[in-house]
Amino acid sequence: MPNVEYRGMNLIVPENDSEWREYVKTAREHKLVMRKCAACGLLRYPPSHGCPWCGDLGWSWQEVSGKGTIHSYEIVVQAIQPGFRDWAPYPVVLVELDEQRGSPTPDEGLRMIANLVKPDFTPEREEHVAIGKRVRVLFQDLSPEIALPQFTLTDEPPQGRVWRLA
Amino acid sequence: MGTLKDRYCVVGVGETEYSRNSGRTTRAMAVEAIRKAMDDAGLGPKDVDGMMSYQGNDSTPSLIVGPDLAIRLNFWMDVVGGGSSTEALIGLAMGAIEVGLCRTVAIFRSMNGYTEVRIGGTGTRAAAPVRGQELAWRPYGMTSAGQNFAPTFMRHMYDYGTTSEQVAHVKVAHSTHASQNPKALHKERVTVEDVLNSRWIVKPLHLLDCCVETDNATCLIVTSAERARDLRQRPIHIMGVAGRVSKPRTDFHFAHGPISRVAGYYAKDIVFPMAGIGPEDVDLTGSYDAFTFTTLLQLEEYGFCKKGEGGAYVSSGSIELGGARPNNTSGGHLCEAYTHGMNLVIENVRQLRGTADDYCPGWAEGKHSYDYSPGKCRQVEDAEIAMNLGWSTPATGSALILRR
Repeated sequence: MPNVEYRGMNLIVPENDSEWREYVKTAREHKLVMRKCAACGLLRYPPSHGCPWCGDLGWSWQEVSGKGTIHSYEIVVQAIQPGFRDWAPYPVVLVELDEQRGSPTPDEGLRMIANLVKPDFTPEREEHVAIGKRVRVLFQDLSPEIALPQFTLTDEPPQGRVWRLA
Repeated sequence: MGTLKDRYCVVGVGETEYSRNSGRTTRAMAVEAIRKAMDDAGLGPKDVDGMMSYQGNDSTPSLIVGPDLAIRLNFWMDVVGGGSSTEALIGLAMGAIEVGLCRTVAIFRSMNGYTEVRIGGTGTRAAAPVRGQELAWRPYGMTSAGQNFAPTFMRHMYDYGTTSEQVAHVKVAHSTHASQNPKALHKERVTVEDVLNSRWIVKPLHLLDCCVETDNATCLIVTSAERARDLRQRPIHIMGVAGRVSKPRTDFHFAHGPISRVAGYYAKDIVFPMAGIGPEDVDLTGSYDAFTFTTLLQLEEYGFCKKGEGGAYVSSGSIELGGARPNNTSGGHLCEAYTHGMNLVIENVRQLRGTADDYCPGWAEGKHSYDYSPGKCRQVEDAEIAMNLGWSTPATGSALILRR
Protein backbone atom coordinates (compact mmCIF):
# COMPACT_ATOMS: atom_id res chain seq x y z
CA MET A 1 0.00 0.00 0.00
CA PRO A 2 1.68 3.24 -1.10
CA ASN A 3 2.32 5.41 1.91
CA VAL A 4 4.94 7.88 2.97
CA GLU A 5 5.96 9.76 6.08
CA TYR A 6 5.95 13.48 5.28
CA ARG A 7 6.53 16.13 7.96
CA GLY A 8 5.47 13.69 10.66
CA MET A 9 2.23 12.78 8.90
CA ASN A 10 1.49 9.35 7.47
CA LEU A 11 0.11 9.87 3.95
CA ILE A 12 -1.74 6.73 2.83
CA VAL A 13 -3.02 5.98 -0.65
CA PRO A 14 -4.36 2.41 -0.57
CA GLU A 15 -4.78 0.37 -3.77
CA ASN A 16 -8.55 0.55 -3.23
CA ASP A 17 -8.57 4.36 -3.04
CA SER A 18 -10.56 4.65 -6.24
CA GLU A 19 -10.56 8.46 -6.18
CA TRP A 20 -6.93 9.30 -5.36
CA ARG A 21 -4.77 6.30 -6.39
CA GLU A 22 -4.32 7.26 -10.05
CA TYR A 23 -4.19 10.97 -9.31
CA VAL A 24 -1.21 10.48 -7.01
CA LYS A 25 0.47 8.01 -9.40
CA THR A 26 0.12 10.51 -12.26
CA ALA A 27 1.47 13.32 -10.09
CA ARG A 28 4.55 11.14 -9.49
CA GLU A 29 4.98 11.20 -13.28
CA HIS A 30 4.83 15.00 -12.94
CA LYS A 31 1.51 15.41 -14.67
CA LEU A 32 -1.48 17.21 -13.18
CA VAL A 33 -4.80 15.57 -14.07
CA MET A 34 -8.42 16.35 -13.36
CA ARG A 35 -11.46 14.17 -13.69
CA LYS A 36 -13.57 15.07 -16.72
CA CYS A 37 -17.26 14.20 -16.76
CA ALA A 38 -18.27 11.89 -19.63
CA ALA A 39 -21.69 13.53 -19.86
CA CYS A 40 -21.27 17.30 -19.35
CA GLY A 41 -17.55 17.55 -20.05
CA LEU A 42 -16.74 19.64 -16.98
CA LEU A 43 -13.50 19.11 -15.08
CA ARG A 44 -13.53 18.75 -11.31
CA TYR A 45 -11.19 18.75 -8.31
CA PRO A 46 -10.67 17.07 -5.87
CA PRO A 47 -11.18 13.75 -7.67
CA SER A 48 -14.73 12.66 -6.84
CA HIS A 49 -16.81 9.61 -7.70
CA GLY A 50 -19.67 11.44 -9.41
CA CYS A 51 -19.92 14.74 -11.29
CA PRO A 52 -20.86 17.55 -8.86
CA TRP A 53 -22.82 19.36 -11.58
CA CYS A 54 -24.79 16.63 -13.36
CA GLY A 55 -24.31 13.51 -11.22
CA ASP A 56 -23.02 11.39 -14.08
CA LEU A 57 -20.71 8.58 -12.98
CA GLY A 58 -18.70 8.33 -16.19
CA TRP A 59 -15.32 10.09 -16.34
CA SER A 60 -11.82 10.13 -17.74
CA TRP A 61 -8.58 11.77 -16.60
CA GLN A 62 -7.55 14.90 -18.46
CA GLU A 63 -4.18 16.57 -18.12
CA VAL A 64 -4.23 20.31 -17.38
CA SER A 65 -1.56 22.97 -17.82
CA GLY A 66 -0.88 23.50 -14.14
CA LYS A 67 -0.93 27.26 -14.67
CA GLY A 68 -3.15 29.47 -12.60
CA THR A 69 -3.69 32.50 -10.38
CA ILE A 70 -3.71 32.88 -6.61
CA HIS A 71 -7.41 33.24 -5.73
CA SER A 72 -6.81 33.49 -1.97
CA TYR A 73 -4.21 32.47 0.60
CA GLU A 74 -3.25 32.30 4.24
CA ILE A 75 0.02 32.48 6.13
CA VAL A 76 0.31 29.82 8.81
CA VAL A 77 2.32 31.32 11.64
CA GLN A 78 1.52 28.78 14.35
CA ALA A 79 1.85 25.34 12.78
CA ILE A 80 -0.61 22.70 14.00
CA GLN A 81 1.30 19.74 12.57
CA PRO A 82 4.54 19.48 14.59
CA GLY A 83 6.39 18.60 11.36
CA PHE A 84 5.56 22.01 9.90
CA ARG A 85 7.01 24.05 12.79
CA ASP A 86 10.37 24.50 11.11
CA TRP A 87 8.54 25.73 7.99
CA ALA A 88 6.44 28.44 9.66
CA PRO A 89 5.52 31.03 8.68
CA TYR A 90 4.48 29.27 5.49
CA PRO A 91 1.92 30.15 2.80
CA VAL A 92 -1.05 28.01 1.83
CA VAL A 93 -2.54 29.17 -1.45
CA LEU A 94 -5.89 28.61 -3.14
CA VAL A 95 -4.99 28.45 -6.83
CA GLU A 96 -7.53 28.89 -9.60
CA LEU A 97 -6.34 27.02 -12.68
CA ASP A 98 -6.56 28.59 -16.14
CA GLU A 99 -8.78 25.79 -17.41
CA GLN A 100 -12.50 26.27 -16.86
CA ARG A 101 -12.30 29.72 -15.23
CA GLY A 102 -15.79 31.16 -14.74
CA SER A 103 -17.49 27.90 -15.63
CA PRO A 104 -20.11 26.53 -15.14
CA THR A 105 -21.06 29.79 -13.34
CA PRO A 106 -19.10 33.06 -13.36
CA ASP A 107 -17.87 32.56 -9.79
CA GLU A 108 -16.61 29.04 -10.25
CA GLY A 109 -13.35 27.58 -11.37
CA LEU A 110 -10.99 24.67 -10.82
CA ARG A 111 -9.38 25.47 -7.50
CA MET A 112 -6.67 23.64 -5.58
CA ILE A 113 -5.01 24.04 -2.19
CA ALA A 114 -1.21 23.79 -2.06
CA ASN A 115 1.82 25.52 -0.64
CA LEU A 116 3.47 28.36 -2.51
CA VAL A 117 7.08 27.25 -2.69
CA LYS A 118 10.35 28.28 -4.26
CA PRO A 119 11.75 25.89 -6.89
CA ASP A 120 13.74 24.16 -4.13
CA PHE A 121 10.44 23.41 -2.28
CA THR A 122 11.10 25.78 0.60
CA PRO A 123 8.19 28.10 1.48
CA GLU A 124 7.90 31.32 -0.55
CA ARG A 125 8.54 34.50 1.43
CA GLU A 126 5.38 36.08 2.76
CA GLU A 127 5.94 39.44 1.06
CA HIS A 128 5.83 37.68 -2.31
CA VAL A 129 2.44 36.05 -1.71
CA ALA A 130 -0.56 37.96 -3.06
CA ILE A 131 -3.97 37.39 -4.58
CA GLY A 132 -3.79 37.89 -8.35
CA LYS A 133 -0.22 36.63 -8.82
CA ARG A 134 0.43 33.97 -11.44
CA VAL A 135 1.71 30.52 -10.53
CA ARG A 136 2.60 27.17 -12.07
CA VAL A 137 2.60 23.65 -10.69
CA LEU A 138 5.71 21.84 -9.44
CA PHE A 139 5.82 18.26 -8.24
CA GLN A 140 7.46 17.45 -4.93
CA ASP A 141 8.55 13.79 -4.97
CA LEU A 142 8.01 12.18 -1.57
CA SER A 143 8.61 8.51 -2.47
CA PRO A 144 8.94 6.36 -5.60
CA GLU A 145 5.12 6.26 -5.66
CA ILE A 146 3.89 9.54 -4.21
CA ALA A 147 4.38 13.17 -5.26
CA LEU A 148 2.65 16.33 -4.04
CA PRO A 149 1.60 18.99 -6.54
CA GLN A 150 2.86 22.38 -5.28
CA PHE A 151 2.84 25.84 -6.85
CA THR A 152 5.53 28.41 -7.50
CA LEU A 153 5.44 32.01 -8.76
CA THR A 154 6.01 32.77 -12.45
CA ASP A 155 7.08 36.04 -14.05
CA GLU A 156 3.84 36.38 -16.03
CA PRO A 157 1.88 39.60 -15.44
CA PRO A 158 -0.73 39.27 -12.69
CA GLN A 159 -4.37 38.58 -13.40
CA GLY A 160 -6.56 41.41 -12.14
CA ARG A 161 -5.92 43.37 -8.99
CA VAL A 162 -2.97 42.28 -6.86
CA TRP A 163 -3.47 42.42 -3.10
CA ARG A 164 -1.90 41.05 0.02
CA LEU A 165 -2.59 41.53 3.71
CA ALA A 166 -0.19 44.25 4.80
CA MET B 1 -48.30 18.88 7.27
CA GLY B 2 -49.13 22.33 8.56
CA THR B 3 -46.56 24.70 9.94
CA LEU B 4 -44.87 23.82 13.23
CA LYS B 5 -44.20 27.47 14.03
CA ASP B 6 -44.64 28.14 17.77
CA ARG B 7 -45.75 24.54 18.44
CA TYR B 8 -42.51 23.50 20.14
CA CYS B 9 -40.56 25.15 22.93
CA VAL B 10 -37.19 25.15 24.64
CA VAL B 11 -38.16 24.54 28.26
CA GLY B 12 -34.88 23.85 30.04
CA VAL B 13 -31.24 24.85 29.73
CA GLY B 14 -28.17 23.86 31.69
CA GLU B 15 -24.41 23.75 31.57
CA THR B 16 -21.38 22.73 33.61
CA GLU B 17 -18.68 25.13 34.65
CA TYR B 18 -16.68 26.40 31.67
CA SER B 19 -13.07 25.50 32.40
CA ARG B 20 -9.79 24.37 30.94
CA ASN B 21 -9.33 21.68 33.53
CA SER B 22 -12.52 19.68 34.08
CA GLY B 23 -10.71 16.76 35.70
CA ARG B 24 -13.55 14.40 34.83
CA THR B 25 -15.18 12.48 32.03
CA THR B 26 -17.54 13.72 29.34
CA ARG B 27 -20.01 11.28 30.91
CA ALA B 28 -19.89 13.05 34.27
CA MET B 29 -20.18 16.46 32.65
CA ALA B 30 -23.06 15.44 30.37
CA VAL B 31 -25.03 14.10 33.33
CA GLU B 32 -24.54 17.33 35.27
CA ALA B 33 -25.61 19.54 32.36
CA ILE B 34 -28.71 17.46 31.61
CA ARG B 35 -29.70 17.28 35.29
CA LYS B 36 -29.40 21.06 35.57
CA ALA B 37 -31.55 21.55 32.46
CA MET B 38 -34.16 19.13 33.86
CA ASP B 39 -34.17 21.01 37.17
CA ASP B 40 -34.44 24.30 35.28
CA ALA B 41 -37.52 22.98 33.46
CA GLY B 42 -38.98 21.20 36.46
CA LEU B 43 -38.75 17.80 34.79
CA GLY B 44 -38.04 14.47 36.51
CA PRO B 45 -36.47 11.30 35.06
CA LYS B 46 -39.86 9.96 33.90
CA ASP B 47 -40.60 13.19 32.03
CA VAL B 48 -37.63 12.99 29.65
CA ASP B 49 -37.83 10.13 27.16
CA GLY B 50 -35.72 11.37 24.24
CA MET B 51 -32.03 12.19 24.04
CA MET B 52 -29.81 13.49 21.26
CA SER B 53 -26.19 14.54 21.14
CA TYR B 54 -23.44 15.39 18.70
CA GLN B 55 -19.75 14.67 18.88
CA GLY B 56 -16.51 14.06 17.05
CA ASN B 57 -15.31 10.90 18.81
CA ASP B 58 -14.89 13.03 21.91
CA SER B 59 -18.06 12.44 23.96
CA THR B 60 -20.16 9.82 25.75
CA PRO B 61 -23.26 8.53 23.95
CA SER B 62 -26.86 8.82 25.10
CA LEU B 63 -27.20 5.13 25.94
CA ILE B 64 -24.56 5.56 28.67
CA VAL B 65 -25.70 8.97 29.87
CA GLY B 66 -29.45 8.19 30.03
CA PRO B 67 -29.22 5.48 32.72
CA ASP B 68 -27.02 7.76 34.88
CA LEU B 69 -30.08 10.00 35.10
CA ALA B 70 -32.50 7.10 35.72
CA ILE B 71 -34.06 7.87 32.34
CA ARG B 72 -35.58 5.12 30.17
CA LEU B 73 -35.38 6.36 26.60
CA ASN B 74 -38.03 5.95 23.92
CA PHE B 75 -35.71 7.59 21.41
CA TRP B 76 -32.03 8.47 21.23
CA MET B 77 -29.65 9.52 18.50
CA ASP B 78 -26.01 10.58 18.67
CA VAL B 79 -24.72 12.19 15.51
CA VAL B 80 -21.30 13.20 14.24
CA GLY B 81 -20.97 16.94 14.13
CA GLY B 82 -19.68 20.16 15.57
CA GLY B 83 -20.89 23.66 14.86
CA SER B 84 -24.37 24.03 13.33
CA SER B 85 -25.54 20.81 15.00
CA THR B 86 -27.37 22.58 17.85
CA GLU B 87 -30.05 24.19 15.69
CA ALA B 88 -30.31 21.14 13.42
CA LEU B 89 -30.90 18.81 16.38
CA ILE B 90 -33.56 21.13 17.78
CA GLY B 91 -35.37 20.74 14.45
CA LEU B 92 -34.93 16.97 14.53
CA ALA B 93 -36.18 16.83 18.12
CA MET B 94 -39.35 18.64 17.02
CA GLY B 95 -39.77 16.05 14.28
CA ALA B 96 -39.19 13.13 16.63
CA ILE B 97 -41.87 14.42 18.98
CA GLU B 98 -44.22 15.34 16.15
CA VAL B 99 -44.23 11.80 14.74
CA GLY B 100 -44.61 10.26 18.19
CA LEU B 101 -41.18 8.74 18.77
CA CYS B 102 -41.03 10.42 22.16
CA ARG B 103 -42.44 13.38 24.10
CA THR B 104 -39.53 15.41 25.48
CA VAL B 105 -35.95 15.50 24.19
CA ALA B 106 -32.76 16.47 26.02
CA ILE B 107 -30.09 17.61 23.55
CA PHE B 108 -26.54 17.64 24.90
CA ARG B 109 -22.95 18.29 23.89
CA SER B 110 -20.14 17.19 26.18
CA MET B 111 -16.49 17.75 25.41
CA ASN B 112 -13.13 18.04 27.11
CA GLY B 113 -12.29 20.45 24.32
CA TYR B 114 -9.12 21.66 25.99
CA THR B 115 -7.75 18.79 28.06
CA GLU B 116 -8.61 15.87 25.74
CA VAL B 117 -9.58 16.37 22.09
CA ARG B 118 -8.56 19.89 21.19
CA ILE B 119 -10.83 21.53 18.67
CA GLY B 120 -7.91 23.53 17.29
CA GLY B 121 -6.53 20.32 15.81
CA THR B 122 -3.40 19.80 17.88
CA GLY B 123 -2.63 16.50 19.62
CA THR B 124 -4.60 13.43 18.59
CA ARG B 125 -6.18 15.11 15.59
CA ALA B 126 -2.82 16.16 14.15
CA ALA B 127 -1.46 12.63 14.63
CA ALA B 128 -4.15 10.88 12.55
CA PRO B 129 -3.05 9.44 9.15
CA VAL B 130 -3.85 11.48 6.03
CA ARG B 131 -5.93 9.65 3.43
CA GLY B 132 -8.78 10.06 0.98
CA GLN B 133 -10.30 13.51 0.72
CA GLU B 134 -7.88 14.97 3.28
CA LEU B 135 -5.08 14.59 0.72
CA ALA B 136 -6.45 17.79 -0.80
CA TRP B 137 -5.37 19.92 2.18
CA ARG B 138 -3.62 18.24 5.13
CA PRO B 139 -0.32 17.49 3.34
CA TYR B 140 -0.02 21.26 2.87
CA GLY B 141 -0.18 21.99 6.57
CA MET B 142 -3.88 22.94 6.46
CA THR B 143 -5.49 21.08 9.33
CA SER B 144 -7.35 23.18 11.87
CA ALA B 145 -10.65 25.01 11.43
CA GLY B 146 -8.83 28.35 11.37
CA GLN B 147 -6.50 27.15 8.64
CA ASN B 148 -9.45 25.71 6.73
CA PHE B 149 -11.45 28.95 6.82
CA ALA B 150 -8.68 31.58 6.55
CA PRO B 151 -8.66 31.76 2.72
CA THR B 152 -12.40 32.50 2.85
CA PHE B 153 -11.77 35.39 5.27
CA MET B 154 -8.82 36.66 3.22
CA ARG B 155 -10.93 36.69 0.06
CA HIS B 156 -13.63 38.70 1.85
CA MET B 157 -10.96 41.31 2.64
CA TYR B 158 -9.95 41.32 -1.03
CA ASP B 159 -13.50 41.45 -2.39
CA TYR B 160 -14.90 44.08 -0.02
CA GLY B 161 -12.01 45.88 1.64
CA THR B 162 -12.83 44.44 5.06
CA THR B 163 -10.04 45.26 7.52
CA SER B 164 -8.55 43.52 10.55
CA GLU B 165 -9.52 46.57 12.62
CA GLN B 166 -13.17 46.26 11.67
CA VAL B 167 -13.33 42.54 12.39
CA ALA B 168 -11.59 43.03 15.75
CA HIS B 169 -14.71 44.86 16.92
CA VAL B 170 -16.49 41.49 17.12
CA LYS B 171 -14.05 40.39 19.82
CA VAL B 172 -14.30 43.77 21.52
CA ALA B 173 -18.12 43.54 21.66
CA HIS B 174 -18.16 39.95 22.86
CA SER B 175 -15.53 40.65 25.52
CA THR B 176 -17.66 43.53 26.79
CA HIS B 177 -20.59 41.14 27.07
CA ALA B 178 -18.47 38.47 28.78
CA SER B 179 -17.35 40.97 31.39
CA GLN B 180 -20.95 41.00 32.65
CA ASN B 181 -21.23 37.20 32.64
CA PRO B 182 -20.14 35.37 35.81
CA LYS B 183 -19.80 32.09 33.85
CA ALA B 184 -17.44 33.42 31.18
CA LEU B 185 -13.97 31.93 30.89
CA HIS B 186 -12.47 35.25 29.73
CA LYS B 187 -14.09 38.22 31.45
CA GLU B 188 -11.53 40.92 30.65
CA ARG B 189 -12.62 43.63 28.24
CA VAL B 190 -10.24 43.99 25.30
CA THR B 191 -9.65 46.76 22.78
CA VAL B 192 -9.15 46.72 19.00
CA GLU B 193 -5.45 47.29 19.67
CA ASP B 194 -5.35 44.25 21.97
CA VAL B 195 -6.71 42.11 19.15
CA LEU B 196 -4.35 43.53 16.53
CA ASN B 197 -1.35 43.22 18.86
CA SER B 198 -2.08 39.61 19.79
CA ARG B 199 0.14 37.10 18.02
CA TRP B 200 -0.72 35.75 14.60
CA ILE B 201 -2.13 32.23 14.42
CA VAL B 202 -2.91 31.97 10.73
CA LYS B 203 -3.15 35.24 8.83
CA PRO B 204 -5.61 36.99 8.73
CA LEU B 205 -6.46 35.56 12.20
CA HIS B 206 -4.78 36.81 15.36
CA LEU B 207 -4.95 34.85 18.60
CA LEU B 208 -7.84 37.03 19.81
CA ASP B 209 -9.76 36.45 16.56
CA CYS B 210 -10.04 32.79 17.64
CA CYS B 211 -12.39 31.23 20.19
CA VAL B 212 -11.31 29.57 23.43
CA GLU B 213 -11.05 25.77 23.60
CA THR B 214 -13.05 24.73 26.66
CA ASP B 215 -13.98 21.69 28.77
CA ASN B 216 -17.74 21.72 29.23
CA ALA B 217 -21.11 20.09 28.76
CA THR B 218 -24.34 21.84 27.79
CA CYS B 219 -28.00 20.86 27.46
CA LEU B 220 -31.24 22.15 25.93
CA ILE B 221 -34.62 20.48 26.47
CA VAL B 222 -37.31 20.59 23.78
CA THR B 223 -40.96 19.63 24.15
CA SER B 224 -44.36 20.57 22.74
CA ALA B 225 -45.88 23.98 23.48
CA GLU B 226 -48.78 22.16 25.11
CA ARG B 227 -46.54 20.42 27.68
CA ALA B 228 -44.39 23.52 28.06
CA ARG B 229 -47.29 25.43 29.58
CA ASP B 230 -47.20 23.27 32.72
CA LEU B 231 -43.46 23.56 33.32
CA ARG B 232 -41.37 25.77 35.58
CA GLN B 233 -40.11 28.43 33.14
CA ARG B 234 -41.70 30.81 30.72
CA PRO B 235 -41.80 28.72 27.50
CA ILE B 236 -39.54 29.96 24.70
CA HIS B 237 -41.22 29.20 21.39
CA ILE B 238 -39.44 27.92 18.30
CA MET B 239 -40.60 30.06 15.38
CA GLY B 240 -38.33 28.69 12.70
CA VAL B 241 -35.37 26.40 12.20
CA ALA B 242 -33.00 25.48 9.38
CA GLY B 243 -30.58 22.58 9.75
CA ARG B 244 -27.18 22.11 8.14
CA VAL B 245 -28.18 24.03 5.02
CA SER B 246 -25.30 23.85 2.56
CA LYS B 247 -23.71 25.46 -0.45
CA PRO B 248 -22.89 23.17 -3.36
CA ARG B 249 -19.56 21.32 -3.03
CA THR B 250 -19.45 20.58 0.68
CA ASP B 251 -16.70 18.11 -0.29
CA PHE B 252 -14.36 21.07 -0.92
CA HIS B 253 -15.93 24.38 0.02
CA PHE B 254 -13.41 26.39 -2.00
CA ALA B 255 -14.79 24.89 -5.22
CA HIS B 256 -18.01 26.87 -5.37
CA GLY B 257 -17.78 30.62 -5.50
CA PRO B 258 -17.92 33.25 -4.45
CA ILE B 259 -15.88 31.69 -1.66
CA SER B 260 -16.73 34.61 0.66
CA ARG B 261 -20.40 33.60 0.44
CA VAL B 262 -21.50 31.28 3.27
CA ALA B 263 -24.37 28.88 3.83
CA GLY B 264 -26.70 31.48 5.34
CA TYR B 265 -27.25 32.63 1.76
CA TYR B 266 -29.45 29.55 1.41
CA ALA B 267 -30.59 29.03 5.02
CA LYS B 268 -32.22 32.46 5.29
CA ASP B 269 -34.79 31.45 2.67
CA ILE B 270 -35.89 28.55 4.86
CA VAL B 271 -35.81 30.00 8.34
CA PHE B 272 -37.32 33.46 7.82
CA PRO B 273 -40.40 32.32 5.85
CA MET B 274 -41.01 29.56 8.40
CA ALA B 275 -40.94 32.11 11.22
CA GLY B 276 -42.91 34.65 9.22
CA ILE B 277 -40.50 37.45 10.10
CA GLY B 278 -37.48 39.19 8.61
CA PRO B 279 -34.11 40.21 10.02
CA GLU B 280 -35.51 43.64 11.00
CA ASP B 281 -37.80 41.91 13.55
CA VAL B 282 -34.94 40.25 15.44
CA ASP B 283 -33.90 41.86 18.76
CA LEU B 284 -30.65 39.98 19.33
CA THR B 285 -28.51 37.45 17.50
CA GLY B 286 -26.18 34.61 18.34
CA SER B 287 -23.94 34.49 15.28
CA TYR B 288 -21.45 31.65 15.75
CA ASP B 289 -18.08 33.05 16.66
CA ALA B 290 -15.56 30.29 16.23
CA PHE B 291 -13.67 33.26 14.80
CA THR B 292 -14.47 36.95 14.64
CA PHE B 293 -14.95 36.56 10.87
CA THR B 294 -17.60 33.84 11.13
CA THR B 295 -19.88 36.22 13.04
CA LEU B 296 -19.42 38.90 10.40
CA LEU B 297 -19.94 36.67 7.36
CA GLN B 298 -23.17 35.25 8.75
CA LEU B 299 -24.65 38.59 9.81
CA GLU B 300 -24.19 39.70 6.19
CA GLU B 301 -25.61 36.58 4.66
CA TYR B 302 -28.77 36.59 6.77
CA GLY B 303 -29.43 40.20 5.82
CA PHE B 304 -28.61 42.04 9.06
CA CYS B 305 -26.48 44.25 6.83
CA LYS B 306 -25.72 44.24 3.12
CA LYS B 307 -23.28 41.74 1.65
CA GLY B 308 -19.82 43.24 1.84
CA GLU B 309 -20.75 45.76 4.51
CA GLY B 310 -20.16 43.45 7.46
CA GLY B 311 -16.95 45.21 8.41
CA ALA B 312 -18.73 48.53 8.78
CA TYR B 313 -21.68 46.89 10.54
CA VAL B 314 -19.74 45.04 13.24
CA SER B 315 -17.63 48.12 13.98
CA SER B 316 -20.65 50.46 14.21
CA GLY B 317 -21.70 49.51 17.74
CA SER B 318 -24.83 47.73 16.47
CA ILE B 319 -23.76 44.33 17.79
CA GLU B 320 -22.90 45.58 21.30
CA LEU B 321 -25.19 45.63 24.32
CA GLY B 322 -27.16 48.86 24.02
CA GLY B 323 -26.77 48.73 20.22
CA ALA B 324 -29.47 48.04 17.67
CA ARG B 325 -29.06 44.26 17.74
CA PRO B 326 -26.55 42.85 20.22
CA ASN B 327 -24.75 39.65 19.23
CA ASN B 328 -23.63 36.90 21.60
CA THR B 329 -24.55 38.68 24.80
CA SER B 330 -22.85 35.95 26.88
CA GLY B 331 -19.49 36.62 25.29
CA GLY B 332 -19.96 33.70 22.90
CA HIS B 333 -17.30 31.28 21.80
CA LEU B 334 -14.67 34.01 21.77
CA CYS B 335 -14.99 34.74 25.50
CA GLU B 336 -17.59 32.69 27.40
CA ALA B 337 -16.67 29.21 26.15
CA TYR B 338 -16.40 27.14 23.01
CA THR B 339 -19.29 24.67 23.04
CA HIS B 340 -19.97 24.04 19.35
CA GLY B 341 -22.98 26.37 19.43
CA MET B 342 -24.92 25.24 22.48
CA ASN B 343 -24.13 28.16 24.79
CA LEU B 344 -25.21 30.63 22.10
CA VAL B 345 -28.72 29.13 22.07
CA ILE B 346 -28.80 28.75 25.85
CA GLU B 347 -27.97 32.44 26.16
CA ASN B 348 -30.77 33.48 23.82
CA VAL B 349 -33.27 31.36 25.77
CA ARG B 350 -32.25 33.11 29.00
CA GLN B 351 -32.38 36.51 27.32
CA LEU B 352 -35.94 35.88 26.13
CA ARG B 353 -36.93 34.78 29.64
CA GLY B 354 -35.44 38.06 30.89
CA THR B 355 -33.13 36.20 33.25
CA ALA B 356 -29.64 36.60 31.82
CA ASP B 357 -27.30 35.91 34.74
CA ASP B 358 -25.25 39.07 35.22
CA TYR B 359 -24.19 41.27 38.12
CA CYS B 360 -27.62 42.80 38.68
CA PRO B 361 -28.68 41.64 42.19
CA GLY B 362 -32.16 40.64 41.02
CA TRP B 363 -31.28 38.93 37.71
CA ALA B 364 -32.84 35.59 38.72
CA GLU B 365 -36.21 37.32 39.18
CA GLY B 366 -35.76 39.23 35.92
CA LYS B 367 -34.87 42.49 37.67
CA HIS B 368 -32.21 44.28 35.63
CA SER B 369 -30.65 47.74 35.57
CA TYR B 370 -29.94 47.74 31.81
CA ASP B 371 -26.80 49.61 32.77
CA TYR B 372 -24.13 48.11 30.53
CA SER B 373 -21.16 49.78 32.21
CA PRO B 374 -18.51 47.42 33.64
CA GLY B 375 -19.67 45.09 36.38
CA LYS B 376 -23.38 45.57 35.77
CA CYS B 377 -26.04 44.28 33.39
CA ARG B 378 -26.13 42.24 30.19
CA GLN B 379 -29.87 41.72 29.78
CA VAL B 380 -31.33 43.09 26.54
CA GLU B 381 -34.33 45.22 27.47
CA ASP B 382 -37.68 43.80 26.36
CA ALA B 383 -36.15 41.11 24.12
CA GLU B 384 -38.93 39.36 22.22
CA ILE B 385 -37.26 37.60 19.28
CA ALA B 386 -33.78 36.09 19.15
CA MET B 387 -31.98 34.34 16.34
CA ASN B 388 -29.08 31.89 16.22
CA LEU B 389 -26.84 31.58 13.19
CA GLY B 390 -24.94 28.30 13.45
CA TRP B 391 -21.70 27.70 11.54
CA SER B 392 -20.04 24.45 10.59
CA THR B 393 -17.89 25.58 7.66
CA PRO B 394 -18.31 28.29 5.04
CA ALA B 395 -20.39 25.71 3.17
CA THR B 396 -22.73 24.54 5.96
CA GLY B 397 -24.80 26.36 8.56
CA SER B 398 -28.00 26.20 10.59
CA ALA B 399 -30.40 28.79 11.95
CA LEU B 400 -32.98 29.09 14.70
CA ILE B 401 -35.52 31.78 15.57
CA LEU B 402 -36.96 31.87 19.09
CA ARG B 403 -39.57 34.11 20.71
CA ARG B 404 -40.71 34.56 24.25
